[in-house]
Formats: sequence, structure tokens, C-alpha cells
Amino acid sequence: MKYETQVPQSFREITFKIMRYNPHLPGDQARIQEYKLTEALGMTVFIALNMIRENQDPTLQFDFVCRAGICGSCAMMINGEPKLACRTLTATYENGVITLMPMPTFELIADLSVNTGAAMRRMSERIEGWIHDPHQDERDIAKLEEPMDPALAEHIYEFERCIECGACMAACATRRLRKEFLGAAGFMRIARFEADPRDKRSPEEYYDLVGDEEGVFGCMTLLGCEDFCPKELPHQEQIARLRRKMVATAR
Amino acid sequence: MTYDIVIVGAGGGGMYAALEAIRRNPALKIAVISKVYPTRSHTSAAQGGVNAALANKHKDDTIDLHIFDTIKGSDYLGDQDSITYLCEQAPILIRELENLGAPFSRLEDGSIAQRPFGGASRHRCCYCADKTGHTVLQTLFEQCMRYGIQFFNEYYLLSIEENDGKCQGVIALNLRDSKIHKFEANSVILATGGYAKMYWHKSSNAAGLTGDGGAAALRAGIPLKDMEFVQFHPTGLRKSGLLVTEGARGEGGYLINNKGERFMSKYAPEKMELGPRDLVSRSIEIEIREGLGFESTAGQFIKLDLTHLGAELIMQRLPQIRELCIYFEGVDPILEPIPVRPTAHYSMGGIDVNTSCETNIEGIYAVGEGACVSVHGANRLGGNSLLDILVFGKRAGMEVVERASKSGQPKISDSQVEDQQKYIDGLFGKTHHERYDVIREELGTTLGENAGIYRTKDALTKGVADVYELRERFKKVKVADHSRLFNTNLMQVMELGSMLDLALCVAKGALAREESRGSHSRIDFPTRDDKNWHKHSIFKMTAEGDIAVSDKPVTMGKHELQERTY
Repeated sequence: MKYETQVPQSFREITFKIMRYNPHLPGDQARIQEYKLTEALGMTVFIALNMIRENQDPTLQFDFVCRAGICGSCAMMINGEPKLACRTLTATYENGVITLMPMPTFELIADLSVNTGAAMRRMSERIEGWIHDPHQDERDIAKLEEPMDPALAEHIYEFERCIECGACMAACATRRLRKEFLGAAGFMRIARFEADPRDKRSPEEYYDLVGDEEGVFGCMTLLGCEDFCPKELPHQEQIARLRRKMVATAR
Repeated sequence: MTYDIVIVGAGGGGMYAALEAIRRNPALKIAVISKVYPTRSHTSAAQGGVNAALANKHKDDTIDLHIFDTIKGSDYLGDQDSITYLCEQAPILIRELENLGAPFSRLEDGSIAQRPFGGASRHRCCYCADKTGHTVLQTLFEQCMRYGIQFFNEYYLLSIEENDGKCQGVIALNLRDSKIHKFEANSVILATGGYAKMYWHKSSNAAGLTGDGGAAALRAGIPLKDMEFVQFHPTGLRKSGLLVTEGARGEGGYLINNKGERFMSKYAPEKMELGPRDLVSRSIEIEIREGLGFESTAGQFIKLDLTHLGAELIMQRLPQIRELCIYFEGVDPILEPIPVRPTAHYSMGGIDVNTSCETNIEGIYAVGEGACVSVHGANRLGGNSLLDILVFGKRAGMEVVERASKSGQPKISDSQVEDQQKYIDGLFGKTHHERYDVIREELGTTLGENAGIYRTKDALTKGVADVYELRERFKKVKVADHSRLFNTNLMQVMELGSMLDLALCVAKGALAREESRGSHSRIDFPTRDDKNWHKHSIFKMTAEGDIAVSDKPVTMGKHELQERTY
């Protein structure tokens, strides 16, 4: 087995080409602005963006919260690929030129900042992404919990690892063509509840949610979601499984 | 707009409160205001788990043992009535969350799994693999959506409004367009999170943990409590302060100084690397101070060595840690030791509330890391922070429902709104020249040096003076971005203001407390002094904007003061 380490050996000057555009500012034009700075040990795109904002341009807009790849706020197009800025080392780019764009398919707030939150909320509401159990409120919660097979708990947890960063949606050609296409994060939520015995929805109810072209049947299997998921979730496997399930239900 | 309940903060505490309230009375009009989209809240970063004496793993675990462990962990500064409530409620909360869909890891028999955690006498910590906070937050947000709770995302709290000692609501800034909004309500729950980000580069916290709720509370005349108690986690990554979980040492990692020695043999010969957090952090700090650390441009550090564990174990059990190290430190722990140093991690102090989450103003409640009930006292146990937000989030939700039916019409006057508008307009002052990022960096540095793990009178005196000076400079701070649209620059300036006010509390409280207790270690007063200091510190803002320190007794119960040894 081979392990690669990515320790930069010397500090070079790197160039950021960043798309600037504030759609809310009357007359503002989309343009590429260049910033140069000296690379540092272990520098991430997130660290570089903060340095640019603090030392060169306070008006630059981008999103971040946790800086640890957990919260899912900072996804953007880095040299054409949707990635988390906080987990992308500048050293990865050999020629030292990094182009940043906002993720497509989301509402642009300004520059690199997009409204993934609103999209994720719409997605969750559309699929009613919560446990459905008509008797949920009647249960005596002081009583012992229902047993669950440890492997099943693990399985549900695996789907729940999604951080809703939106990289899968930005990488999805179908979604770019079809605005209402649910996207891989949505299918992962569906898979999560569908696997959970505590959710009492029937196969037919799931079919109503995703059994159409805006749902699983719209997927063109271009694998963008799988290629760019920062959490390496098994998107294609889930979509394929959901499709088989939906087909079986439709019969 | 007028609401029955306004909740500030959409982490675990705020959302549990919203959920409890709406489930009890679906007719209530509830608004949840948050700086960020709810699932981005810092609750998501909690990895370890939630303590509850379910006795699934150790059949002899009891609520009483959980109570005692927590009191002892708090170094006897926690209030025993609140700790009792916390631990009694814990199993109920876990089962409730489980019912709502949280995917807890399971034991072979199908019951909820429990793992060992620092300072706990039994295996008591329930978890969802290594992302417990993330799943808890998801589950709560799902349920809030189910009940149609109204969220105002990307709103920043400006002020808490009261009249005659009664809550009238809050004023907040819509970050989208920099417009001011009033949210009138008889009941407000502050669930705004901790303040350990004030240590800046020496902190494991996310960017938003700036103590805005505490600062707004101070300005509204609500006291804070036990602010000097800040927990340092022993192993933060050298540069970013990001956390390397205790699990890395649990799996057998060594802490190594520049002589290649496993130095914990000097401080905890039996427990070695697995001593309690405050002890291990102090040991690392001593090594560095005695010149036994490693030097780098990013500061001094010691090494956490996992290389002897082998590639297979690291890949299998610590994949996230490996990922973190490669991404953020440029080091692969399979090949090289990880550079680490202690990092400010958790705020034990916060807004002074009682077991019912009530502040001194009728109708204003506080929960979570931003509040101090106090259940953590001088030192929080791992697995008790998520528990705190759940139990007291729920409690606050119950309290406000009780209240909602019997209060009059809240009113925030135009002049109150104008005051906030003036404040915002003032921040855009053109002649100002001080840079917020420079002040912020200096604040983190002085706190780390003078109000860090080890504290002395001289250092703290300097720390207090530094914070005063930085607060003066802050009056001339420049908001460089003049846009009114999503002005993140403006928000960071306001956050810095919050941090400065709370930093003054931390430094002043630490200077005043002439003893060592839990996370607060004074070199000049190395022992616990129950005679003079077994009491809470209370912080109030004076009319001039200064901080006055006083105290308040600790609520005791059936557990008498004892020496804390492990």
C-alpha cells in the first residue's frame, strides 16, 4: 500500500482568479478578479480567501462556518470542480493558479456565496424529510427504546453523513438542465428514511415523492454526484437501488 | 412582527426548545432567528456523544452515579439541583431523540450503544458513530420542519429588549440587506452558543462562537456567570486549533516532547495519555514552557505519535483524524507524528440562569453553551455538553409554553429600533482606521498568553489591561465594506465587539479568582480554596460599559465537598 503525503516544500506565490458579481447591486457586471498571495504550509482555499478578504479586499463574499469539513457551508467551484474550500489545499494545484466560481444551480447571493440553505430546506420539505409515524406522539418515551440491529443502525447512519453542502447538485448535469430535479442529496435523504423502520411510509408514498423525472428517473447516471461528494457517500448505488424499488412499486 | 416565542440560535438547544413548545401547543407562533442555516450550527461539530445512565452497557450504572461523576467533574462548582435534573432527564431525552429518528449506534442486543468517556465511572456515552452532534442537529431540524417552525436564517441579534423587568422581544439585523427588524415577544430564549472563539487561532470552535447572546444579555442588564472557566482540549492541531479527538489517545497514541519522551509519565504515571482533559492540557503546557516543545513558525507544539499503531488500525478506526491531519496539517499520521497543542474548546460560563432556564428578566431564558445553569461548574465532562443543550432546550420550551398564555402584549418602541439603527450607522464611520482582524488576532494572542491554561496575577493583570486597550481601539474600528448587501465584514466587526466584552469578563474573573479549580489553574494559587472561593462569579455591565465582578453561592445537595482525584 502506498500513502501519499502532501507537504509543500517551499512557499510560492499563488494566483486566485475569482468571479465577482453581486446580482443585487444595480449595474454590477460579472468579472474575474485576480489576487496574488504567498502560499503557506498547509494553506487551504478557505484560509487563502480569509487572507484576501482581510488584507486585500473586504468586499469579497464567500460562506464558511466550521472550517473543518463538517458544516457544509463553503462548497464552491475550484478550478471547475465543486469542492469544500476548507478542505482543499492550495498545494494541490501545481501551477499555482486557482480559479474560483460560485456553484451553479443555486441562488447566487454574491461572488462565491450561494444560498444552499434555502435549496436544502426546499428539498427536505418536498420529500418530507422526517420520520413519519402517525403514533409518534402517543408513545411513552420513558419506556425502553425499541431494539435495532446494530448493522441497520450503522446503515442508516451512513446515509445521514450527508452535510448538505450541495457539491452533488452543482456537479449534476441533470439538475443544470432541469431545475426541479431533486439531486443526490435528496435521494440520500429518501434512502435514509426508507431504510429506517421507524418511518412508516409505504412504498407507494415514496413513489409519489420521487418516482418521476424530477425524481430518480431523471438521473442520467453521469456520476458527478459520486465523483465530487466530499463525504464519499455511495450516491449511485442509492439512486440505482431507489430506481429498482420504484419500478417494483409501480408494477 | 409579534410572536409568542422568539428563539435566538438554531443549534441543538434552540431547536429543541422550539420543538418542545410547538408540540405542547401547535397554535403558538414561534420564530427562530439564526446567524447561519440551522444545520450549519456548531452542534454539528460534536463528535463524541451524549451521556445518559441507560445502563445498556454497564448494568450497574445509575442516575446517581451520573450525578456524582458530574458534580465531581465540575470540581464542586456545579449546582446540584440542576445537575440532578440534567442526569434524571438524560435517559428520557435519549429515548425521545431515538423516537424522533436519531440513528444511535447499537449494541449486539439492539439497545443503544454506550462508550467510555473521560471522568465517567461507567460506559455511559450514547453516540451515532463519530458524528453524534451532526445527527442530533439533523433530527431536530427535520422535526422543526415537520411542525412548520418559522426560521429567520442569517439574522444577527442586536439587542434584547425589556421594559420594567419584562421581556419585550429582540431586535435583529437581516444580514441580507442590513435592515433592522424587531421581533416582539413576551418570551425569548437565548440559545446563542459559547464564546471560546475569542481565543481565535487557539480555539477549536467554529467562526460563529463569539458569544453574541452573552454580550447582548450584558447590555440588557442580564448577568453572566463563571466566565473564567474555559475548557482547553489537549490535542488541537498546531495551526488551525482543530480538534484531534480523545479517541486518538484512546487507541494508544503517545504524546512526545522534543527529547522523544512520553512525558505524561511525569504527570500521570498510571493513566498516562488518558488522564483527564485539564490535566493533560496542563502537562503539555508545562513541557512547552520548559523548552521541551517543538518550534515552528506556527508556534510551539508537541507531537501526538500514532505511527506505532500501524496503517491498518489508523485507516480503520481513525480515518477522520487521518483526513483532518492530511487536509489541515499536511501530515499523514501513518508516517509522521501529528503536531498538536491545547486548544480552547468549551465555555463553561455563560448567561446566568436557574434550573428553569430563567434569567433575571421575566420572560428571557437562556440555554446551551451560551448559558450557565450551571451543570458543568469548573470543568465539563465529555458527553455532557450535548446532554445540556437537549435537556435544557426542552426545559426552556416547557417554560415558555406555560408563560405564553398568561402575558400581555409585548412592545418594542420606535426609539428602541432607532438606537440600533444608530449603532449600525455608526459602525460605517468613514474616519475609522482600526482593523478588526488585527484586533481579533491580538485578542486571541493575549488571551492565550495571559488567560490560558496556566494563569498568574501578573499575566492576568496584563491580560485585563490588554483587553481594555483593545476595547478602546475597537471604538475606532473600520467597516471596510460599505455595502448594505450581505455585509459579512460588518457582521465580523459586531462579533468582535461581543468577543471583547466577554473577554473582559473572562480575564477579570480569572484575575479575581485566587484559587485553582477545574479548568482554572492559577500558578500563584495552586490549590482549591473552598473557604473563600466555593462560589459562582457573577458579571454585570455597568452604565459606563465596564464589567463589575461579584459572586453568588453554589447550590449544594447531598454531595459534600471532597478532594477531586482520579
